[in-house]
Amino acid sequence: MDLIFLALSLYKKRQFEECVKTCTELLDKNPFDQAVWVLKMKALTEQLYVDDLEAEEEGIAEAFMDNETIAESARPGTSLKNPGTSQGGSTQGYRPWTQTGRPVSGVVRPGTQTARPGTMEQALRTPRTSKTARPSTSQSARTIRLGTASMLSEPGGPFIQLSRINLGNYAAKPSLAKPLFLYILYHENSIRHALQLAVLATQACEFKDWWWKVQLGKCYYSLGLMREAEQQFRSALRQHQCIETFLRLGRVYIRLDQPLSALDVCRTGLEYFPKEITLLTEIARIFEGLNNMTMSVKYYREIVTEDSTNVEAIACIGMHHFYTDQPEMALRFYRRLLQMGLYNAELFNNLGLCCFYAQQYDMTLSCFQHALSLAKEDDVADIWYNIGLIAIGVGDTRLAGQCLRLAISADSSHAPAYNNLGVLELRRGRVNEARAFFQAAASLAPYLFEPYFNHAALSNKLGDLQASYIVIQKSLEAYPSHIPSQELLHALEKHFTFI
Amino acid sequence: MMSSPRNLEYEQLWLNAHTDTRAAVYTFSSCITLADLNADGDFKLVVADLGTGSTNVKLKVYKGTSLHSETALLDVPTGVTSFYMDLNEPRMPAIAVASGSNIYIYKNMRPYFKFSLPSMDINPLEKDLWMQVRDEQIEHGVFIELLNNLRAEIGFSQMSTQSQHLLTLDSSNTSSFVQQNCKFPVKRQTVVTCMTTLKKALAEETAVSCLVVGTESSEILVLDPEAFTILEKIKLSDEDSTTLAVPAVLSACGLHAVEFRIVAACRDGSLRLARRGWTETKTLVQLPAQPVAMTISPDNASITIALMNQTLQCYSKKGKLQWMINLPAAACALCPVPLPHQSATLVAVSLNGGLLQLYNGRQLVDVIKAPQSVSGLVFGRFGQEENALIMFTVDGSLLVKILKRTAHFNLNGGGNTASVAPGAAQQIKLQIPKKTRLFLDQTMRERDNCVMMHRTFQRDLFQLRVDVARACVKALQSCNNPVSLEGAEPLKLSAQVLGLGPLFKMVISLQNISASSMIQGLGILFHFDDKMYSMDKPFINVPLLVPGLEYPFETMIRNISELALSDQVRVLVVKDGQSQPVLAAIINMPVCDLLGMV
Repeated sequence: MDLIFLALSLYKKRQFEECVKTCTELLDKNPFDQAVWVLKMKALTEQLYVDDLEAEEEGIAEAFMDNETIAESARPGTSLKNPGTSQGGSTQGYRPWTQTGRPVSGVVRPGTQTARPGTMEQALRTPRTSKTARPSTSQSARTIRLGTASMLSEPGGPFIQLSRINLGNYAAKPSLAKPLFLYILYHENSIRHALQLAVLATQACEFKDWWWKVQLGKCYYSLGLMREAEQQFRSALRQHQCIETFLRLGRVYIRLDQPLSALDVCRTGLEYFPKEITLLTEIARIFEGLNNMTMSVKYYREIVTEDSTNVEAIACIGMHHFYTDQPEMALRFYRRLLQMGLYNAELFNNLGLCCFYAQQYDMTLSCFQHALSLAKEDDVADIWYNIGLIAIGVGDTRLAGQCLRLAISADSSHAPAYNNLGVLELRRGRVNEARAFFQAAASLAPYLFEPYFNHAALSNKLGDLQASYIVIQKSLEAYPSHIPSQELLHALEKHFTFI
Repeated sequence: MMSSPRNLEYEQLWLNAHTDTRAAVYTFSSCITLADLNADGDFKLVVADLGTGSTNVKLKVYKGTSLHSETALLDVPTGVTSFYMDLNEPRMPAIAVASGSNIYIYKNMRPYFKFSLPSMDINPLEKDLWMQVRDEQIEHGVFIELLNNLRAEIGFSQMSTQSQHLLTLDSSNTSSFVQQNCKFPVKRQTVVTCMTTLKKALAEETAVSCLVVGTESSEILVLDPEAFTILEKIKLSDEDSTTLAVPAVLSACGLHAVEFRIVAACRDGSLRLARRGWTETKTLVQLPAQPVAMTISPDNASITIALMNQTLQCYSKKGKLQWMINLPAAACALCPVPLPHQSATLVAVSLNGGLLQLYNGRQLVDVIKAPQSVSGLVFGRFGQEENALIMFTVDGSLLVKILKRTAHFNLNGGGNTASVAPGAAQQIKLQIPKKTRLFLDQTMRERDNCVMMHRTFQRDLFQLRVDVARACVKALQSCNNPVSLEGAEPLKLSAQVLGLGPLFKMVISLQNISASSMIQGLGILFHFDDKMYSMDKPFINVPLLVPGLEYPFETMIRNISELALSDQVRVLVVKDGQSQPVLAAIINMPVCDLLGMV
């Protein structure tokens, strides 16, 4: 069989490794065969291609060393930085918050757990395990691992020596330039070279090709030049409307912390592509980021009517129902996920909780048993914690204590477990232990108000009013509208000013 | 609904004349005064900068927006005031700075006179003791013991300054202190706590004034401005009780030669009045909280006082409570704002957080926002400007605002904005989600199969208990517990990993959570893959652990692996002579971020 035909066929069958092998053989025979060269490049790129829109994560450096910040204190509901200010949003009292002051989301995706911390120290201190740590910059080793192979040495040197290549020669030939650009961007992850090529190529095609403009925008975006990226995307959109461009322009606005502009962009996109799932998902996520759960869930519902197997939408709607006191509805959504073939610890954990709160007691514990047997290392702690909650609900404090201790032994930085353990110890009258647990929970998770409040209430009861006063202020910092904290603070203030 | 348009109106009344966020002047209202120092009609701002509280204490003069002169002060001042002490032309006021037990008088910003408060009687026994120790008749130890006995007898406040200082020292420093100080005569002096002025014979603006000084020994002294003799000495005691009250804030009105009233707000929360010819004060009222700042209205001698319980209260001259308003935050400072063109005197109250409110009587007429809480506040003539409001914030910045000449406060009416329609809170509907059809169906199921469900649940619960117990035993056997279980050493361990890598800092904190028993003989051991990590201190010796305190232990850990992988590190707390670790925790190390090339 003709080797070129074989290589092409392999490429189509997505057997990239064999395709690369065949291409290398061909290139050894004739190093100047451009068709084979392009095919090899494409195969290498495809091997490592990642959906950079989904996998995108804002690094610590981007969050802190950003010089685009305009308003320090944005008006309520217009910034992703302080979602707590939006009106009608959920509060910590109903829906637990993650460490960044954001309600938990139905699905874990980059950015839901570690978005925009308040301070640098907080960002660096977050329990940094391999699963939860955020990268220091988005151009860090992690993206290299995700998207490129350049870290691993290849036998016989790299396929293309970027420093030696004359980009100008290729820029004028669109059939060569486009694969080469993608190769540089995804395989080599060399944004500088990619940008160079893109600039030359747009000039060569006299600024008429929208594809190059999008690529230019992509490069500017990863270099942090948001306004330039915005310009390129907008200009590309004038020439040709494409879903990806809308999404990327939206991301630019999110990075600039202008979620309302991002929403506008996505809505414009929806006019060209009505009911497009990716755009709808983007809108729903932005609303979730703004802590506007009703709107978010509205869009997620729209997604479900279009695509009834969208895991993210179903999970988010389920979560919303659970935290708005309708566990029976949540149960139905999670059951749908189970029917779709999802079979993991998180799902069974959620099913168990829904069953318990919807009073379907016969299924509760078997769900948790399933969850435990399926759990991976980093979920075990949460599942033990939830079983602890069930045990507290049943009234078996001994069992609850054991479960919470197991949660802590699985994850020594599980702050809610420390807090609940503290409450259990307090019920048994062991004040010192309780206080130690509250302190531990507070130091591990300063974003939770419960440990602070418990600690303050305990100190108040013991007569250590000064400590209580200091701690209750921290509680109010974490959750300003917590009425019992406010009442305690008020009582303490009254006590201090009274002669 | 009324508040937003009113706010706009407020802003227009004041002009921002000067803002200096780097002035770095830390002061209080009592240490700020405005004076026509050179008798040229250009009023200067004289302010005592408290600096850090011990160093950088300076008397600063601002001319316009720039710093005109600076004079170092020896001690922290408690009050600064300007007054005319003679009838000489040109009419130049003197500046009085109260500091410690002295009052320094400056004229033309040059030191002019120092007035020391009269020294007080010393217990003869104490004097005798100091004499004996000087002549080395008694041992130092015996001397201190005798002083301590004396303290028990007459009370700490009745002793001399030296004895007081000596008795507060550590036992190690006493003998050197005695040696240094026994040569000096024994003195007992009081200190100035607050100061104000009182016009002597004429009510004119440039008339001669007396200084009124409140002291720590619970006295109010009225000083003659020329000879600096004590004209009046008023005890702050009560006829029915022997307790003395130390004045914290003084206000005076009237003329010394005719009739005057001095009101002292005392530290014990009493408001006391002194009048001409009295040798003792009379308690007007016992306040519900400690005073922050006070002013007397010149018209009807009513007293407006800000208290520490977030209220602003007004008392008549007889001590009757006239009105009381709750402030939105704690008051920091207060100053009168006389507006002759509107024939009213407002009261400006600065609140914690930076809000400044102006009240006409009990009516809020204006609000100013400062970037920080204002600690020092004064209103008066500054430069050529008639109505200037000078503010010093807690972070040391200086703000000057000028009242527009056309400004007109809406003094009558404006409505009571504070009132909220009663029952408004009861009309808010609670958002209770409706019970769904599904819920009802499930309830039916529950009702029909209750016995079966209960049995299943109980069976599962027993199964769960067994599982949990097994898992607990497993955790116990593998010593995988950051919190000790019952019976073992009451310890708690928590660990944090800081840094971006490849060098991390690991902070292990140990806490003894027992009620009273100490724990010793512990060590922290790290167990890790030596191909992946290297550690500064793989073993840390733990000192004696006192109950309740958290002890942090730090070590550096470096990822030495070529591949960007991460591993687990086990932390074990071990005890001497025990083969099993007391506690253990697994730390999932973060991935180290090698910065990629862009």
